[in-house]
Amino acid sequence: MESGERKQYEWIRVDQDKCISCGDCVEFCPRDVLRLDNQGFPYMAYRDDCWYCDVCTFVCKPKALSLEEVPYLIK
Amino acid sequence: MEGKGERNMSYHTIEADVVVVGGGSAGTVAAIKAKSGDPGARVVVLDKGPIETSGAIGRGMDALNVVSVPGYGTPEDVVEALTKVTEGVLDQECAYVLGAKSLEAMKDLEKYTEREPGDLFPLDGNGNYKASYLHPVNHALYMAMDGEDIKRALAREVRKLGCLVLDRTPAVRLLTEEGRVAGILAFNIRTGDFYLIKTPAVIITSGCVGKFGMPRDGYLSGIYEFPGNTGDGFAMAYHAGAELVNLECFQTNLLMKDFNGPACGYVVIPRGGYGVNARGEKYWTHGYWSGDMFLAVWREFQEGRGPVFLKMDHLPEDTVKGLEKILWGTERTVRGLFHQQRDEDYRRWDSVEQGMEEITLCSGHSMSGILVNKDTETTVPGLYAAGDCAAVPHQYLTGALVFGAIAGEKAVSYARIARRLEPAVSLKKAWREIREPLLRPDGLAAEDVEIKIRSKVSQYLTPPKNDFLYHKMLWWVDRMRREDVPRIKVTDYHNLIKVTEVKSIIDCAEMAARASLYRTESRWGLGHYRLAYPGRDSAWDGKWVVVRKDGATGEMLVSKKDVPKHKWDFPARLEYEYPRPVFDMGRGFVPPPNGYEDPWIREKVCREGLSIPKRMITRRER
Repeated sequence: MESGERKQYEWIRVDQDKCISCGDCVEFCPRDVLRLDNQGFPYMAYRDDCWYCDVCTFVCKPKALSLEEVPYLIK
Repeated sequence: MEGKGERNMSYHTIEADVVVVGGGSAGTVAAIKAKSGDPGARVVVLDKGPIETSGAIGRGMDALNVVSVPGYGTPEDVVEALTKVTEGVLDQECAYVLGAKSLEAMKDLEKYTEREPGDLFPLDGNGNYKASYLHPVNHALYMAMDGEDIKRALAREVRKLGCLVLDRTPAVRLLTEEGRVAGILAFNIRTGDFYLIKTPAVIITSGCVGKFGMPRDGYLSGIYEFPGNTGDGFAMAYHAGAELVNLECFQTNLLMKDFNGPACGYVVIPRGGYGVNARGEKYWTHGYWSGDMFLAVWREFQEGRGPVFLKMDHLPEDTVKGLEKILWGTERTVRGLFHQQRDEDYRRWDSVEQGMEEITLCSGHSMSGILVNKDTETTVPGLYAAGDCAAVPHQYLTGALVFGAIAGEKAVSYARIARRLEPAVSLKKAWREIREPLLRPDGLAAEDVEIKIRSKVSQYLTPPKNDFLYHKMLWWVDRMRREDVPRIKVTDYHNLIKVTEVKSIIDCAEMAARASLYRTESRWGLGHYRLAYPGRDSAWDGKWVVVRKDGATGEMLVSKKDVPKHKWDFPARLEYEYPRPVFDMGRGFVPPPNGYEDPWIREKVCREGLSIPKRMITRRER
């Protein structure tokens, strides 16, 4: 898997109307999964390191992030 | 070709008194106690992630699985429980300390979280902390906890005290001189900043070997333990010359199938739930994660009564709602979403299917780890270990808190008087070696090599243990070290740490295989069910299998060692027997004697002008 690139399928959803690009989700992800794209919105740069732990949605103050589903392979 | 971020890297040399490797439960507590014990001490915490959320309890924890609180249990009761579940293979003093200091650990947690008794931990009608039953003994040693915020509270305390926290900067090599700790190397997985930290004292608190076996769903991070825990501490201690024990006792996780998180029996069972097989029958006497229970589950599957489920539908609605609140609001909070997407409901008896998933090496729920005494000292001067990587059996989060605290106190005291040794390491050369996978023009993806070693672990090491497969595993270990690891190619620092992780998993696989082949008996139920020796042998009572590295040859040495003499004479076995499988298939088809020579050979040799070798001619013709 090439790292750091955006995948077509992600299980974390960003509400761009709510996201303030604060980067908290990127800073607090315990697996260093997320990065901000060139528009300042988070994406799953290292998607397959995700432990679906929910930290990113928990730390998101404007409630812009949601874990839409658990990873496809275990869904 | 240089990788991403390569141009920005820089070297840092830091002088420290204590370095904590892993800022999880044990690591944060170790740092707190080291710094508060000596505020002038330079305490450094290294972690793969940010310490607020990393490790096993990033989203909190719902219980302390072993405590002794007034009115419910004593430290001796903890010793009794642990003597039983370890079948006598333990240092009872460690178990005693675990019980004796558990109340102090609870009080500390209340202080760090700024929560009152009755809030973080439940109280009974008399105002005492209320414990429940969990272990297969007649003592209430389980303490429920509403601990969603505990990790953030611990991290806050670490930072408040002024420890130097290097987030996303995992340790990659422990440096020793004259057999003592001298320093440690680490790098930042985003920037590539490289650190040499000179220190006389290192506390390894980097968790279990969570990434060990391969989950059957194929998702590498879809495991029970925190996926950052890849046995790096086990491997680091091993290469530094420390002794490790109980590596033959595997944690054979019984998990919420597919989700591969806790089901979570320890929350459900003390509140009245229990495990049932596919017929809806209770299949074992208790749900504690000791080897007898795992063996019972394995039998249910082998004898056609699987799968197994965690049954809750008989519980009152209030209890079910309470369970949903705990299970979906703490530890692995996504459980609720997982059930919702499958239309599962705890009010149906078969809503939580359980599976025996990837095997793990861990002391928290099992026994494997770095050998330590009650003061958390390893066999290498200056090296301490606590939490899931230190072989205090069945210690859970309580042990991480109790022994993390002891490690912090002991290490900082040691650092005051220890002789400081200059690590004889060339920073540039070491960094060049570590980032070699970044510099290669091409090669194998780290995750492919991880898939390979972990699937071999699952295929060859999962109990019941087969000697032939174990020898084959050693062949794979050797081959992967020679052929695969030197070819790993990564493109950035985030993935560079995976090279260290894969190497650690391979080291741990070798340790587990060699320790298992050394112990010529079966013990701990499924944990070490060895088909060539399918019963317990009293000659192995009270014996550790010790693994360590021969400093001169670099070879892995395996030996046996007596556990410290027991002070308490508690029963040292669980109530179970190994099965005596009878797989009588009858007599299979036996081909009749072939009385004729092979016409194909006759035609061939005639055509080619040869005479038929004598051995080709059937006896009748001769």
